[in-house]
Amino acid sequence: MSLKNKLNRLKPHLSIPESSKQSSSSLPVKTNKEIPFIDVWRENGVSPFFLEDDYCLVREVKYPLDYQHGRYKLGEFIDAVKAWNNSNISHPLSAKGFLPEQLFFFDTETTGLGGGVGNTIFLLGHATLEDNHFVVRQHILPRPGSEIPLYTSFLEKVDYTTLVTYNGKAFDWPQVKTRHTLVKAHVPMLPSFGHFDLFHASRRLWKHKLERLKLSIVEKEILEIQRVDDVPGFLAPMIYFDYVETQKPEGMLGIIKHNEIDILSLISLYTHLTFQILRMDQNQTEKEAFEVGRWFTYLGQNLAAENTFIELASGESMEAYQSQWQLSLQLKKKKDYEAASGIWLNLSKISDDVIAFESSLELSKWYEHKKKDYKKALLFGQKAKLLLEKRSDRKVDQEMDLAKRLERITRKSCNKNVKK
Amino acid sequence: MKVRKSLQELIVELKKNDEFKDQIVHWHTIEEKEAKTSELPNDLHDNLQRALQERGIGRLYTHQKSSYEAIRRGESIVAVTPTASGKTLCYNLPVIQTIIESMDSRALYIFPTKALAQDQKSELNELIQATELQINSYTYDGDTPANIREKVRKAGHVVITNPDMLHSAILPHHTKWVSLFENLKFVVIDELHIYRGVFGSHVANVIRRLKRICEFYGSNPIFICTSATIANPLELAEHLTETNMRLINNNGAPSGRKHFLFYNPPIVNKPLNIRRSATLEVRNIARTLLKNKIQTIVFAKSRVRVEILLTYLQDLVKYQLGPKAIRGYRGGYLPSERREIEKGLRNGDIYGVVSTNALELGVDIGQLQVCIMTGYPGSIASSWQQAGRAGRRHGESLVILVASSSPLDQYIIQHPDYFFTSSPETARINKDNLIILIDHLKCAAYELPFKKGDYFGEMEIEELLEYLVEERVLFENGEKYYWMNDSFPAHNISLRSASQDNVVIIDQSDVSKARVIGEMDLFSSMTLLHEEAIYLHQGTQFQVEKLDWEEKKAFVREVAVDYFTDANLAVELKVLEIDKDRENSMVEIAYGDVSVLAKATIFKKIKFETHENIGSGPIHLPEVELHTSSAWISIDKDSSELPDERLDQGLIGISHAFKHIAPLFVMCDPQDIHVVPQVKAVHNEKPTLFFYDRYPGGIGLSEKIYEGMEIIIKEAKEMITRCNCHHGCPSCIGTDPMAETAKIDCLKILNMFLYEVGKGRVS
Repeated sequence: MSLKNKLNRLKPHLSIPESSKQSSSSLPVKTNKEIPFIDVWRENGVSPFFLEDDYCLVREVKYPLDYQHGRYKLGEFIDAVKAWNNSNISHPLSAKGFLPEQLFFFDTETTGLGGGVGNTIFLLGHATLEDNHFVVRQHILPRPGSEIPLYTSFLEKVDYTTLVTYNGKAFDWPQVKTRHTLVKAHVPMLPSFGHFDLFHASRRLWKHKLERLKLSIVEKEILEIQRVDDVPGFLAPMIYFDYVETQKPEGMLGIIKHNEIDILSLISLYTHLTFQILRMDQNQTEKEAFEVGRWFTYLGQNLAAENTFIELASGESMEAYQSQWQLSLQLKKKKDYEAASGIWLNLSKISDDVIAFESSLELSKWYEHKKKDYKKALLFGQKAKLLLEKRSDRKVDQEMDLAKRLERITRKSCNKNVKK
Repeated sequence: MKVRKSLQELIVELKKNDEFKDQIVHWHTIEEKEAKTSELPNDLHDNLQRALQERGIGRLYTHQKSSYEAIRRGESIVAVTPTASGKTLCYNLPVIQTIIESMDSRALYIFPTKALAQDQKSELNELIQATELQINSYTYDGDTPANIREKVRKAGHVVITNPDMLHSAILPHHTKWVSLFENLKFVVIDELHIYRGVFGSHVANVIRRLKRICEFYGSNPIFICTSATIANPLELAEHLTETNMRLINNNGAPSGRKHFLFYNPPIVNKPLNIRRSATLEVRNIARTLLKNKIQTIVFAKSRVRVEILLTYLQDLVKYQLGPKAIRGYRGGYLPSERREIEKGLRNGDIYGVVSTNALELGVDIGQLQVCIMTGYPGSIASSWQQAGRAGRRHGESLVILVASSSPLDQYIIQHPDYFFTSSPETARINKDNLIILIDHLKCAAYELPFKKGDYFGEMEIEELLEYLVEERVLFENGEKYYWMNDSFPAHNISLRSASQDNVVIIDQSDVSKARVIGEMDLFSSMTLLHEEAIYLHQGTQFQVEKLDWEEKKAFVREVAVDYFTDANLAVELKVLEIDKDRENSMVEIAYGDVSVLAKATIFKKIKFETHENIGSGPIHLPEVELHTSSAWISIDKDSSELPDERLDQGLIGISHAFKHIAPLFVMCDPQDIHVVPQVKAVHNEKPTLFFYDRYPGGIGLSEKIYEGMEIIIKEAKEMITRCNCHHGCPSCIGTDPMAETAKIDCLKILNMFLYEVGKGRVS
């Protein structure tokens, strides 16, 4: 009896995953120059790329520099790069030393989630500045198995120094490397690039106000980009499988458009982030500026951090207080205690118990160890104690440390008096 | 004050003591064995040689030397290594030597459990450290922290892992392991005998995928397997890896003289053939030994019984030895806890260990002088593994098997010749079970596209690939088949179950922390997870409080009771296809595919030691259909000369006996084989007894039964004949047959089988 009959009998026991079950049979594979629906493709800027007996599809669209995409014109990217080149701030997203043409913006579409080998990339999209306009190129996999023309056409075009992506460090680029391994022998080597991943930057700056940091949300809320009739990303795999079966372009054109806009948004996002970091955005909120400052602190860019906090320090908002506090820490790092203590004195009186507590504590430390003024040390120490007791989030360690401190100061104070 | 007796003195006493000697059914002595050694290989690197000498190893045992030489010649090997015979050196030595010679070389070590992997990693690392060379070995499993994973992938000379990790984390991400696969020289498979049945069938396919990926990256590793004593180590190794192997079984490790005692507790109820509890007997024997400070390990089948024995023994000796002198071993101990027990045994602080079968799996805790088994562990191979715990290199050791009333135990205890002369069980796998095969074919296609004409291992897969294309899981493009689905196939495949439509078992003993402890296929769930069932999981008893059939969830709670449950299955069995048969005019023995429509009806509560029926209840579950393989024997109705009623009862009695004998011959869990009698089978209208695999698609057990049918009939007849009961009892034909003539009828039918079969078979 045939294996097939056995398989059909065992069907209820087999776990075959859900897939788009079309009733139409799959079309015969065409490997010669007859590409189904080629007219429709050409109308949409897509042409075939032939390689021996196989092919892939490549779309090319040009955008002028004054094209408005949300808040920014695409051409403002050039200003952003210029700004980096004029700045002395060292930063992971800095394009200092680069020309705008040396960056390329990159995004992919895949048949699944996760980094397994079988997760197929069916769309490689990228954009660069070329001769005073932006060129968006998208390489499309007409069927699984045509990766050799796909990656060949892609690698012929990417000759740049730095990738700009959204979460590409963790996902897109490793997946390209994975899929490339399978056809390594037949396509050019993958070059190594620098990489600007805008996801982490977005998270730093906007975690406080956005619930989720998907590109689509950042795009809408921060970059003011509105999409019309967009095909959502999660439908991509299904639409692709459908296209593979029927070879009809309609569904795919929607995905291609979606990917195209993702890439344009990357350009705007890079521009916007640059202006945020370099403090060139007039509309930057205090909170955003504060996060930029904290980022500088994290990167060890102390001068930049300090300057940022100084600008935010005036006023009586929470951001102002927090900036003053961060500034005091920078000053402390530089050992400019006099300046720092001035700030601590002010902050010890404000209504926010946490900052007031920390400031009083710092004052107590300073008076004890640097100024040897035990009376004042004790004064601020006790103030800190009172503030700590008001807080419901206080920790046992903090209380114990403080108790020890007060006891030590008292002891030293007595000894001093005795010595006198 | 009593004078402490040595083991030798105690052995003499046991022979004479009235209490014991009548219960000793058999006494078998295995004489001591001298070590057989050989010089260290002369191509060993100086550092490695020195490292060995520092650890007191100046010569190798013969099997270690043979392994080394075969591996260095480029041969794949399977080394049969009983407990405590230094098996790790069989692979560590050639692997480390090769790495020293060529630092690019890589090795993959596969262990069945994380615990074993941890133990072996420590041992390997100690040896590496002693060589003072820069060789890296890492474990790669669920516990490996993220920051180490990258390092392991790029720079680990030896990667230590388990089959599940290989299946779902390494192979589907093979592009991240290029340096491993390009340079892979060795794949070590430890505890080979574990890979049998469903698990073995899955792992064989994981290895097919592994070999495929190695071929893609241009490597061709040697396989090094180590196995405990089973009947067919070479066959199993070659089936599992689809590679030619050399068998290394010249074990050169020494052993002291070993006494093996078969002990049957006295009968306390003659008509019902009920014997005194095995646990109580073990308690008494252990007490004597421990009081004389003789290091003893006691094996018991469940955690409940371990706890009972532990409590009693600790209490008994608390004044002489102190309570900490007797330790319980429960599965899942950390390496540090095991080291503690090892140390305690070595320096004499610990005298007794009570353990479930969880300990048998290769874990080292040192050697003891006496091993007592409470009940037959279920297979000859397991028995020898447990027995292997007793006995040092020199000096005498003692193994005592104490039988319970179960039919299997009674059979073994009364057939010592069977135990000592027959080979241990054959380990079988069925790597071409369609369901398992398809699952792994999907994973393989996800990992690397298939080409037309490709084989999967030795299996032709054209039709299967076409099937997957029809199901739109694969896409055919030119000569190749590509994965075309958005799922990740390895995630939904458990290597330990034969079908993926399973019931999840949830432990809600701690209501705030309900956790999943296991899975079970639907068919088995009907009889093992019905409400009020007692479910045994790794030695612990649980009672099923609720079975949500719709949601496929069973909620259980830990209990400690003195009974187990046994459910009845009403079965409609239909033969779909006959693959093999042999028959003459009176008897038909055949093998093929069947469809089983089963409904659980009632369950019984059966007391542990005595096997009395102490209660029952109904089961309310829908029926389940199962397609599997089956072996059966039919006889012409008239030749039995029995009226229908008695024929029916006779068949039921025989099926009870068969159910206990069959697993003996096929090395499987008794639950893996079902036996169903039919007075009038649908396909031939004859009285028939069916054996079927409980796994969809079959797992190779029925096939083996088909081949050995005559043996099973003969042994069943022996068992029933020799049984001391009058009309039938749980130890032979069970208590379902009601007629007084039941026992005689069973024998009559069995004789007829044998007579007809003996008359001459038509093949």
